[in-house]
Amino acid sequence: MSKELRVNSKYIDQTTRIPFKFNGKTFYGFKGDTLASALLSNNVHLVGRSFKYHRPRGIMTCGSEEPNAIVQVSNDPSLTEPNVRATEIELYEGLEANSQNCWPSVNFDIGGINNFLSPFLPAGFYYKTFMWPASFWEKYEFFIRHSAGLGKAPTKPDPNIYDHQYAHCDVLVIGGGISGVIAAKLSAEKKLNTILLDDKKDLGGVSIYNNDDNFKINDQNVSKWLSNEIENLKKYPNLSIKTRTSLAAFHGYNYLLARENLTDHLNVNDRKDKIRQRLWKIRAKKVVIATGAIERPLIFNNNDRPGILLSSSIKKYIDYYGVKCGTKISIFTSNDSAYETVLSLYKNGVKINSIIDIRDKSESLIVKKVQDIGIKIYWKHTVVNTKGYKRINSVELMKLNEKGTGVIGDKINESCDCLGISGGWTPMVHLFTQSGGKLEFNRIDNMFIPDENKSPSEQISVGSCNGDLELDDIIKKTNLKTKEFLDINTSIFDSLKIQNSKEKNKKNIWLLPSDKALGKTKPFLDFQNDSTAKDVKLALREGFKSIEHVKRYTTTGMGTDQGKLSNMHALGIIADTTGTNMGELGTTTFRPPFTPLTFGAIVGRNVGQFFDHTRYSAMHNWHETNGAKFENVGQWKRPWYYPKNKESMHEAVQRESKAARDSAGILDASTLGKIDIQGTDASEFLNRVYTNAWSKLQIGKCRYGLMLNEDGMVYDDGVTTRLGENHYIMTTTTGGAANVLNKLEDYLQTEWPELDVYLTTVTDHFSTISICGPNSKKIVNKMIPDLDLSDQNFPHMSFKNSSINGVRCRVMRISFTGEHSYEINIQSNYAKNVWEMSMEAGKEYNITPYGTETMHLLRAEKGFIITGQDTDGTLTPVDLQMDWIVSKKKYDFIGKRSLYRSDTIREDRKQLVGLITEDPNEVLEEGAQIVEDLNKKPIEMLGHVTSSYFSPNLNKSIALAVVVSGKNLRGKKLFVPMENKNINVTITDTVFYDKENKRLNA
Amino acid sequence: MLNLETSIQGNKSYNNLTISEVEPVIKINLRSKKREFSAKIGKILSIIPPVESNMSSINDNYSLLWLSPDEWLLYSNNKISNYEEQINLEDKLFNQISKLNQGAVTNVTDHLVMINLNGNKIYDLLSKGCPFNFNDFMSKKGSVAQTIVNHTDVILHNINEGNLNLFVRRSFSKHLWSWINDSARFI
Repeated sequence: MSKELRVNSKYIDQTTRIPFKFNGKTFYGFKGDTLASALLSNNVHLVGRSFKYHRPRGIMTCGSEEPNAIVQVSNDPSLTEPNVRATEIELYEGLEANSQNCWPSVNFDIGGINNFLSPFLPAGFYYKTFMWPASFWEKYEFFIRHSAGLGKAPTKPDPNIYDHQYAHCDVLVIGGGISGVIAAKLSAEKKLNTILLDDKKDLGGVSIYNNDDNFKINDQNVSKWLSNEIENLKKYPNLSIKTRTSLAAFHGYNYLLARENLTDHLNVNDRKDKIRQRLWKIRAKKVVIATGAIERPLIFNNNDRPGILLSSSIKKYIDYYGVKCGTKISIFTSNDSAYETVLSLYKNGVKINSIIDIRDKSESLIVKKVQDIGIKIYWKHTVVNTKGYKRINSVELMKLNEKGTGVIGDKINESCDCLGISGGWTPMVHLFTQSGGKLEFNRIDNMFIPDENKSPSEQISVGSCNGDLELDDIIKKTNLKTKEFLDINTSIFDSLKIQNSKEKNKKNIWLLPSDKALGKTKPFLDFQNDSTAKDVKLALREGFKSIEHVKRYTTTGMGTDQGKLSNMHALGIIADTTGTNMGELGTTTFRPPFTPLTFGAIVGRNVGQFFDHTRYSAMHNWHETNGAKFENVGQWKRPWYYPKNKESMHEAVQRESKAARDSAGILDASTLGKIDIQGTDASEFLNRVYTNAWSKLQIGKCRYGLMLNEDGMVYDDGVTTRLGENHYIMTTTTGGAANVLNKLEDYLQTEWPELDVYLTTVTDHFSTISICGPNSKKIVNKMIPDLDLSDQNFPHMSFKNSSINGVRCRVMRISFTGEHSYEINIQSNYAKNVWEMSMEAGKEYNITPYGTETMHLLRAEKGFIITGQDTDGTLTPVDLQMDWIVSKKKYDFIGKRSLYRSDTIREDRKQLVGLITEDPNEVLEEGAQIVEDLNKKPIEMLGHVTSSYFSPNLNKSIALAVVVSGKNLRGKKLFVPMENKNINVTITDTVFYDKENKRLNA
Repeated sequence: MLNLETSIQGNKSYNNLTISEVEPVIKINLRSKKREFSAKIGKILSIIPPVESNMSSINDNYSLLWLSPDEWLLYSNNKISNYEEQINLEDKLFNQISKLNQGAVTNVTDHLVMINLNGNKIYDLLSKGCPFNFNDFMSKKGSVAQTIVNHTDVILHNINEGNLNLFVRRSFSKHLWSWINDSARFI
């Protein structure tokens, strides 16, 4: 740290020195410094290279608008973070940062050659140059990709912890500058639940370090008055202050996202197990936007050299951080605010060479004070050039002509090591427009401000983001607007005595003239992307008119600063060149986030095990202990198969399905949706929901049903059991359970409110254990000896209430495998015990647990469909060759009308068929296409395979498929073309096994 | 008797915060649009179903939560000591409501898992994954909310400030329990 560049500051801790590394070299700063202020205090201005021309670039600002000082943080390539603004990183012990976009070093960058080639690299260079020859694109692409992008992405998962938090408040105040503090105090005083956010570590904005005697509030310096106000805010229990919290997005209806930095300022060793960033999701009844304004640069030849900073930033560095940005500073301005910087520098003993002011004169108080000091002011002058490759060492200035369109007279040369520039102020209206507000153009100050008549309700903009730039305007208007907004009659700010210098003379030139032709100069607009004023003019010449098109063609405003510094000038130059009114030109779209968010903050804790829900059945632990492999079905973890002795999935499934057919298999079927249906109109309700008839279903009997969408396509299926006169239990598919319940409840509430029917989900209350196979009856008999399992008493598709060891259960004799089968439904808290009992009872019959894969195979052998696998929302029951399930007698059911549309009764629709392969060992791929004529061009696809397995029970490959006019093609030979071969297949019936259903009733 | 195995079987304590599964607790879903329903329930349980939305009625034995204009959740305030207690209550209600076509009584004892959260930070904890506005809810004794916590449907019953019962479907309960414990570390 250079002592010559440090002055006293009460805002940072100048007793605590902190070491840090930049580009491998160790430097020191103070606690409270940013990386930028610490580097400046070490006389380091050159921090990076521009994107296109690799020109040396220095720190230019002190905030989120920084275009140049974009660094890579951390030397560990696995965890490094790119594109971090040096102006926003608070200094901490262990900080290691490096310049980006340069090789081998920021001091000597090979890419700097682009600067010499720049005449050949205008806007649109890439679009125009790499068009030919077309075959060379891949070669160009290799090099372009290597030079694209800023910074390096980390190679390992981010180890930091991120978090989300919802908050609700009466009033949210965004920005803790003087207007934000006033608004927050008024809100808190009215006992409203208030949140005040600011992205800096301290509240107060630029006013907190304003000790200028030209600005007073109640005869106190602004800084002192504001400090007291901020201290006062802490006494309000209904006011929550969040610093280091940046508002990222302002969505409609006052829903906002804000990122809170919690550990980025801590020493590396103090961060362990702490949340790094929290994303606040805020719903506010009212929002006060007090986001301030940022200073504009001036656009002149070579305005990008290291050592050229915004004038207000130079002021903050000296007043707040106690850092001199140079020892011989010149100031170039179009307005009065730069004179505040001059006074601050003067007070701290920094030599000011001169002030170059494009105006003819200024009669304001502050300018008079500067003149009284004796600093030379060049009125009506402009900088026409700067010199110094890696740090500015001189400026050349000339007198402006009357209109400000050219320069006259002799060139004056002034040496300096720092140039402060000020081109006026741009209100930060981004959040206002994000929320849907429209802007109006203020011709006096040449800025876009919120249009109060086109503002979304329940929000106001106050302070300089509203276009109020003078202290007295800011305070008075903020007070007035907030009072009206929050319905306050009188406020403690009504009688404030405010004293400040008022700007009386204004002048603005978007593109300052030079003694050289524009083509020979480099007046930069977008410092990060190297787009210049001449690029914008070129785009206009080439026919681009809309600001959105010019932006994309020239890449102006497309850097990580999102055009905060460049957009206004680009608009101004377009307006001047085309003779358009800037207000009519509009702006580019300000999209969230206002400042970049980390992916971590967006994702929060929704990573790893919390990426998605996981649902477990009551028997899950048993499955896990017994080596099951799991399949994700919806959000459920369902046993997929249970490999034994290092079996492959194929081997395990073959074994499981053989066991289920030969003796006994057991399946955890708990995941199927279960809806309890009660009410005097329950039967009528089912008649309307399903395609078949339900009124005559006897109590104690089960029936399979197909549910259609309004378009007549199969939506869900399942077995419903009549438990009592007005009591049913419906089962749905696993994945469809929630949607089916919502749909049915919706119908009851909106379409059929006259029905006396109540639905209650019991999916998780009951666990379902399905035991199938020739020995299933013996096993169930061992478990429930009192239950008469004879076919007379308990036939297929019926149910019995029973109990196991005193606990009630419902036993259904239904089957999805085609085997004699029972489903035991028992309260989930007892289910694991019953499963274990089943395994014990079935031991002598080699009872074999099987998973979803075996279940799919067994049902495919029987030709039973799986909704969602064999159907895809485009198949009717008739397409599935299930005409038998559609009642012709019923007055109506969901989807009935659609079944008789001309399109749904077409004979040449895709229909479900069975497929067998010529080679019985050849298993088709699910999704494979089916064709008739391999030589026809283009090849005609008749359909595709929906399910395919090797059946150990049939000892051959079987498949289900949907094929155009399939039901009339039985016996037809077709082809399934694959990458390396064509597979011969024959269309068959969909039922491959036990067509007579002998096994069901065995 | 079969072995009873509840879903979570745990309780945890953090800074000023305790989280515990409270099971087995009887839970019965009640639905009715009938005028006589309220009086019937009052007669059987000595508790009247609340008509104010998102509120509850509580007596020594039971809490009755408003879920919708025709739906309530009944749960026992204390853990049950035996299975018959649950069956007897279910049967009593079913026979006098469902069987007499006065509405629907459905046992959901094992459908939902009850987790008690206690401590002054519980609303901050839930707000990490819950968009619901707790500002009024927390100070309103007996208030009820049906919302989501970490994308999971839950019913919240505010016993009093800093003490609430959370009901979550059994299949989601382990996942939500993990999330709650993970989030509690950062309160």
